[in-house]
Amino acid sequence: MLTPSERERYDRQIMIGEIGQEGQGKLKRSRVVIAGAGGLGSPIAIYLTAAGIGTIRIIDHDQVALSNLNRQVLHWEEDVGRKKVDSARTKLRNLNSTVDIQAMAETITEKNASELVDGCDAIIDAMDNLPTRYILNRCAVEKKIPFFHGAVNGFEGRVLTVIPGETACLRCMYRGLVPQEKFPVIGVVPAVIGSIQATEVIKYLAGIGKLLTNRLLIYDGLKVTFSEFRLSKNPDCDHCGSLSGKE
Amino acid sequence: MVVKVHIHTTHRQFTNGSDVVAVEGNTVGECLNHLIKQFPGMEKALFAKKDKLLNTVEVYLNHASAYPNELLKPVKDGDQIHLVVMLTGG
Repeated sequence: MLTPSERERYDRQIMIGEIGQEGQGKLKRSRVVIAGAGGLGSPIAIYLTAAGIGTIRIIDHDQVALSNLNRQVLHWEEDVGRKKVDSARTKLRNLNSTVDIQAMAETITEKNASELVDGCDAIIDAMDNLPTRYILNRCAVEKKIPFFHGAVNGFEGRVLTVIPGETACLRCMYRGLVPQEKFPVIGVVPAVIGSIQATEVIKYLAGIGKLLTNRLLIYDGLKVTFSEFRLSKNPDCDHCGSLSGKE
Repeated sequence: MVVKVHIHTTHRQFTNGSDVVAVEGNTVGECLNHLIKQFPGMEKALFAKKDKLLNTVEVYLNHASAYPNELLKPVKDGDQIHLVVMLTGG
């Protein structure tokens, strides 16, 4: 049930036929985890907070550095040295005080991942490294929580949505370890990719639209093109292979 | 069999800037070998060792993932191969 203030606040998106008051109510009752409060996590958190998701849990162990500010728009000059989750919580609470923002300054590990995402309806992958992405992917698969992947490098980005047990997961094309390197990026690219991830989350929670499942979307900012590639669930995948597939 | 290979942005330094290269072959592997014959710099960009793609390289055939055993996948005239590099940044 929406309050009069909420109906006013979300009036423009309630006007969208696919959302309406019912969809807005679903968003209000939803709980999501954003893993990473950096380049991707910033636009994701801003737009999900603005959209009125009920509870947003942000996990990041890092502190704000000057070199983050070209892309991590949740953090400002005054935040350098501060925990990213604290900086994020301040901004997001100022944006929408009705959203429960939970800040967790934790390093995501195989041991604590399950507990960190417990009770949530969606896990949003806004990490900056592959090992943690795989920890989250496995956790999402095991707990059967939808997983919203995004990644960037330079002017390029990609998005994939995973419905555990039904669609290809992040691990389905795994070929081996990838060296972790400092990556180049300009802020407008995670802005695009993070916004698409947030769109996917809103659609999933509201139960509308067609998700980016079994479809890898690749954005090339230099050419301004979006390419789509079909993926299939891998029956031998060491994360999701044991789960039955519907597609 | 003439197949078009779409070259990833980061690899175009090895193809004189070309983003699409025409190659010949009956499998993805043969097509990539022909690509390397034309542009030898692509070998290190794609392969860790003989017949072993780098873990960061993804191959799509006609816009569908060619994983697993990408190199053995048969191709036909007019097919398109996209070479894509995995991204991990956030």
